[in-house]
Formats: sequence, structure tokens, C-alpha cells
Amino acid sequence: MTSLRSALQRRLAAFLSDPIEGVPDEAVVVAPATLADAAEVLGAASAHSLPVLVWGGGTHQGMGGRVDPAIVLSTARLNSIVDWQPDDLTVVVEAGVRVRDLEDRLAERDQTAVLPEVPGGATVGGVVAAGISGFRRLRYGPTRDRMLEVDLVTGDGRIVRGGGRVVKNVTGYDLPRFVAGSFGSLGLIGRVCLKLWPLSEARRTVTLVNRQPGYGYRPLAVIEARHQVRVYLAGTSAEVEARTAELGGSHEDEWLWPGPLEGSVGLSLRLAPRLLPEILGHIPSSWSYQALPGVGEVRIGVRDFDAETLRALRRWVESRGGALVLTNAPAEVYDAFDAWGTAPPGLDLQRRLVARFDPDRIVNPGRLPGGL
Amino acid sequence: MIPFSRAQPVMASVWHVTLVRELKDLLGEERVLSDPLRRHVYGKDGGIRRGDVAVVTLPATVGEVAEIVRIAARHEIPVVPRGAGTGLAGGAVPTSPSVVVSLTRLTEIEVDTESRTAWVGAGVLNLDLSEHTAPFGLHFAPDPSSQAACTIGGNVANNSGGPHCLAEGSTVNHVLAVEMVNATGEVLMLGGDAPDPIGLDVRGIVVGSEGTLGIVTRALVKLTPNPPAARTLLAAYERVEDAAATVSGIIAAGIVPAALEMMDQPMTIAVERFVGAGFPTDAAAVLLAEVTGHPAAVTAEAELVRTVAESNHATQIRVAADQAERDLLWKGRKAAFGAVAQLAPDYYLHDTVVPRTKLVDVLVKVYEIADRYDLAIMNVFHAGDGNLHPLMAFDASEEGVLDRVHAAADEVARVCVEAGGSLSGEHGIGLEKRDLMPLVFSEVDLDAQARLVEAFDPNKLFNPDKVLPTGSRCFDLGRPIPEGTWI
Repeated sequence: MTSLRSALQRRLAAFLSDPIEGVPDEAVVVAPATLADAAEVLGAASAHSLPVLVWGGGTHQGMGGRVDPAIVLSTARLNSIVDWQPDDLTVVVEAGVRVRDLEDRLAERDQTAVLPEVPGGATVGGVVAAGISGFRRLRYGPTRDRMLEVDLVTGDGRIVRGGGRVVKNVTGYDLPRFVAGSFGSLGLIGRVCLKLWPLSEARRTVTLVNRQPGYGYRPLAVIEARHQVRVYLAGTSAEVEARTAELGGSHEDEWLWPGPLEGSVGLSLRLAPRLLPEILGHIPSSWSYQALPGVGEVRIGVRDFDAETLRALRRWVESRGGALVLTNAPAEVYDAFDAWGTAPPGLDLQRRLVARFDPDRIVNPGRLPGGL
Repeated sequence: MIPFSRAQPVMASVWHVTLVRELKDLLGEERVLSDPLRRHVYGKDGGIRRGDVAVVTLPATVGEVAEIVRIAARHEIPVVPRGAGTGLAGGAVPTSPSVVVSLTRLTEIEVDTESRTAWVGAGVLNLDLSEHTAPFGLHFAPDPSSQAACTIGGNVANNSGGPHCLAEGSTVNHVLAVEMVNATGEVLMLGGDAPDPIGLDVRGIVVGSEGTLGIVTRALVKLTPNPPAARTLLAAYERVEDAAATVSGIIAAGIVPAALEMMDQPMTIAVERFVGAGFPTDAAAVLLAEVTGHPAAVTAEAELVRTVAESNHATQIRVAADQAERDLLWKGRKAAFGAVAQLAPDYYLHDTVVPRTKLVDVLVKVYEIADRYDLAIMNVFHAGDGNLHPLMAFDASEEGVLDRVHAAADEVARVCVEAGGSLSGEHGIGLEKRDLMPLVFSEVDLDAQARLVEAFDPNKLFNPDKVLPTGSRCFDLGRPIPEGTWI
């Protein structure tokens, strides 16, 4: 192992990075500064079938199958906002740009990429790779709906561009959308062009004690917690006032997004929106949750991990066409409980697709459902 | 794949007789069309190219579709799926004698009002779906101008848009799952009614794949609540630049209206003659803007649109007084292509996208190109998206005119790509723009797309010769780093 490591360090000397907290000690950490450099790293790794773990902000590393990498490819140096066209509502960013930095920048011109509202240190590349969306997906759709263009460094070191820098496009196969949620299985998501939306003039959070059907005409976001409901509104002042009056409850003139849930194990439970009220009855009372009506996701923080309770819940969800996904957990939990659960149908097709991009299966191998 | 030359008459071949007999055993006499007239009719879509049909099938179930695919695969005859045939890029035009699978009999709709979704057969008409869900206060957001005739299957194949996709997105944003028959005749379920299905998002790659990856027989679509209020405004301008500046001004003011449509003067004149909606025919450009939503929002946003239009020198601003007037204005916009039929027997409708800020520059060049080729051109476009639809009206019987039309269309595409745009915003690539793909993508990019197709359909059974230029899958990079001895 030591000789492999030192040989790798020599070969990849031009790209070596400082150690990163949370990264396995044995791995060689590289941080290429260009897509061409990243392609060289992946090409070299592919030629020698060395597993590579892609690392952005590290915030979604808890998702998916565990990877034992020889190389960790950090996107820390792929960190520039390449091209922002406020009048066209598009922005091109490299993978390592932090979501918070991008959104702060866009907010200067009252725009947003509608990425997760409480991103921690997450990067744009990480959020796209993990297919993570914010609460505002209720109104604007998931993060994958923002994907206009991608520069993908494939597992075998090709740089492939798909899509284009326009807000509406059907030129060729939709590679940008395809990489969303791919967890690196196609390669490194190096650079993306995202569709932007204007930030509204008025922003409000209405807090309710009880649930309501629909919460009025297309609110920005709704989060149901155990003892309260928050409805998020956007628009002109007149609209926000009128809608607040219709909803009742108390309100504040900003968006108060909830922080991460407490608990040692994080779950994302996904099912048809109509099943949401029913599933909430199956969640143990010691667990905290954020349910997203109209979306069909329940984010859960588990205090006392109990594999049997989780398995029963997963059976219930899967029998209704949904999924129970681990988003974060201590290492030992992954041994007792699969990160994804039952693999989806059509795994053969997924395997063939991955093989077209990462023939040696070196980038985040085993991260996807079914050990793919 | 193609077992004979085009010159050989289809009907005389033994393979054709066998193929038709097997299909008739499956579907009966009435749902297999092999007479010359019907084969001729199904050889074309809404565009101007014609292809070769071996036989047309009209399956009524997914099981029948799967069986047709198996029969065609056994005979090594290409399979071309087809909806209503309203496409304009030749996506449903077979390039060699093919089994056409017309999906118009797959018309089931199953609505889930609580989840606001519906399972919809590929053959359901776009407008029929929204009419079906209207009692629940819901609609299907993508609204192509052909919505009274085009099918959901066609919308899924082309990732269709329409005026209202400015605020709501194209078809792909509204498809949660598809049921698809693959190249071996298996039925796959891709996606589901839960958000973010685990694994690769294969559904997303199937939408917009123009029938080249499989045959989509049903789609699970998102339904959108009908807006409680809407207001439609028409603004007229003496200069196209002012109309374009209004579009930018509205976006810069922080609202994305439900629709922002523009027509130039030649188009406005044609439409007015056809519909009589009171469109100002003396204006250089007409802008149609619609805001929808909560009543309070609509009032404020309509006022904002008016202010921006006024400050950009609109010569006339008309707010539709009621639903009837609103419908009339939209009828004018959506009938634009029909209106052209009065001017010339044929038309070529282009579809390209440019960054919205480049609209005026590109438009000037489009007029210049039309002039040079001596073609009548008029423009109607989804201005908010930067999605242009230059339309050339002509008479195909005129000697050499088709060559001029194609040459002009190519130049328009080039101008759009040079401005940072793309080849198609909503009509698709099909046959029409396939050979222009190298304008936007490198060999490596096209090769990657060809590999993707290969993963679905290695023998190119489905709709061959579409989307990607011939020879895309010839690029073999090899290893960027030679396999060395460095370890």
C-alpha cells in the first residue's frame, strides 16, 4: 500500500492537495485546477483501475454505498464563477464553488439558482451530483430542472459537454439533466450552467399550528414539522399581504429556513405526495422531521438508531413505490442497513449507461443503488 | 439493418409479405396498414421531408407495442414511433422502409388529484389532457401551438415547450415517469411518483430523445394548478428593439411572466388577416405578455409590465378585458402558422434559441439572410426564452426554391449558434438539423451521445438516423494517458 501511495504521489505530483478533514488517510488527495488536469487524473486512474472518490464540500458523503478510494479528487481548486449573465438568467460555475458563495453573489442582483437554502459547506458540484434540492422545489422544481449545460470529465478521462447556455434547449440528448443525482458514476461534474430565477421583492414566513389543504395557490415552500407548519411566500408586497391574510397564523418578513435536523442518523423518505399524511403516522415520536407536502419528501433525524424499526419503515415505503434513503450515519450503520434499499428496476440499463462513461468503473464505484 | 435497397419495391418483397402477415396475426386486418396510399400518408410529419414506410401499425396496448417491436427486431426492420405527426424536424419520418408504430390509440388517462399527477397514454392529445383535468382545477403546463393536435407521446419525445414554458419549463420538467418498450420488447418503468427516484435518472434522458431509445407508451406527468387569475396584455411598437427591450426590462424588474411572446410586422399582418383579433398591423413588433397567479399578484405584475412597455415607447397597450378577449389574443398567436397558409402553399418553420439579450442582433441577421435568398420571412417567437421561430413561406412547385429554403435555414442556425445559441428550443433535431450538430458539439461530445444511445439500443432498431449525424460513434480517443510503467 505504501509503495502504491508513493508511486501515486509521484505520478500526480502536479495536482497534490493538502489533506482534507474526513477523507480516508490512505488515499492520495489531489485537487486539479482545470478540467484538463482532472481529465489527466481520471485517465491515469482509469488506466490502472484505481478507485477515485470525488470530494466537494463533504456534506453529502453520507449518501450511497461506501467507497474505499486510492485517490480523492477534491474540487477545491475548481472554484470560479465562470460566466454570469444576469439579463439571460444563466450562470456558469465550476463544481467546487460553494452554494452559499454562489447564492450570495447572485443575490446582489436579486437572483437565485434555487439551490438548497441551508447548504452548509456544500458545493454546486456536490449538490448536483447528489441530486439535492432545496425547500423551494415546491414552486421551482428540483435542482435537476436548473441544469442547462454540463462539462463532464468521464471516468476514462474524456471531457464531454452537453446541453447549452440557453434557458430552453432540445439540441441532443439531455446530458446536463442526466448527471444530476448520478453520484459521480458518469465521472466528475466539472462545470455546469444553471438557470436562474429572480428573487422576489417581498419574502415572508407564515407559521401555522395546523395543516391546511394546499396552503393557497402555489406557495414558494411548505415545511410541516411535528408541532408547526411553515409556509414560505414570495412575490410583490400586495400579494404576500393578501396571501398571509388568507392563511392566518403569525408571520415574519423573511424566510426562516430550518437548520439541519438533530440526530445521529439522517434519512430522506421519498414517496407520492398523497401518501405524506399517512407516513407521518408511522414515524416514531422521538424522531424529528421536516415533511414537504406537494413534494413527497420527509427529511428525518433519528436519535436512537434501531435497524429493525428502520427496516419496517423502509418496507412500508418501498411497498408503496417510494424509497428510504440514508443521508448521513455513523460508519457502522451502513453495515447493518443499506444506504438505498431495494435497487430500482432496469439496473442492467443503468449499468450499461455507466459503462459508456466510466468503463473501468473507477469514480465513486458502488455509490449508486445495486452496488453500481 | 436495412435489408434491401430503396430502389427495390417494398410490396414485391417476400420479407414484406411475411412481416405484414405476422403483424396482422397480432393486430388483425384493420390495425395494420400496408396499402400504398396509407404508407404514403404516414411517410411525412409536419415538416417538408418524406420517408419510406413499410407498414403502419395501430397498437392499442403496451403489450401489442412490445410484440410489434419483437416482430420488427426479428425481421431487422427499423421501428419508427409516431404520435399525431405534427413534428417539424422530421423526427417521425422513416429514412428507410420501417414499421411505423402509431400510438394514437393509447388514450387512457388516470388522474391522481391528491398527488397532482396523471398517467397518460402516449396517444392522448395535449389539449384533451388539460380539458380532462380542468374539473379538478389542474392542467398540463406545456402548451405547444399544436396542442389541439399533438400527442403527449410526441411531447415527451421532443421535450416540447410552448408559450407558457417560460415560467413553467418544458415537458421534461413535468414528466415524473415513463413506461417504455425497449429494443428487446421488454416494458420498462423509468422513474416513479416519488420524488428523486434512486439511481440514474434514465427518465430524464428518454424525454427529448425523439423516439430513438425506445417507445414511450405512457407517461406519469405533473399537473399544475390552474391560476386563480390571469391578465393578458398586448403592446405594439414602432421598433423591434423597443419590444425586445421591454422583454429584458420585465425580466430585470424581477418577474418571470407566464408568457412573453413577440411577432414581427409580416407575421402580425398574416395573423390579423386570418383571425381578426384587432392586432395592430402598422406596428413593427407586437408583444403579448401574460401574467398569472394570485389576484393580488396579477394586478401588480400587469401594472409593472405596462410601465416597462410604456417606458420602452410602446405605441399602444391593450389589456384583455375578459376571458373571451384573452382567448382571442392567444388564438391569434397560436394560429400564426395556420395564418401563413393564406400567403403561400408551403412553409418552413425554424426553431432556434439564442440568449434573450441577443434577440435583436440575431433578428437583423435573419432578415438579411432571407433577403439574400429572396424568401418571404416572418417571425414569431417565445421572446422571454430567446426562442426564435423564423418562418419562410414559399411555393414548393417553384423551381429550386427548396434548395434556397434549406440554405437559408442553415445560415439562420449558424447565426444563432454564433450568438451563443442552440439549434433547437422545442421542435427537436430529427433529420432536419442532424447534420448541423457539429456546429454545437465536438466529436467527443457527439461520440458520448452516440454511446448513450448504444446503451439503450445497440442495433439501432428505433428511429435510426435521427438526432446524431452519421458517423458520430467513430471517435475513438483511446487512453489519454498511455498505459505506462509508472506504478
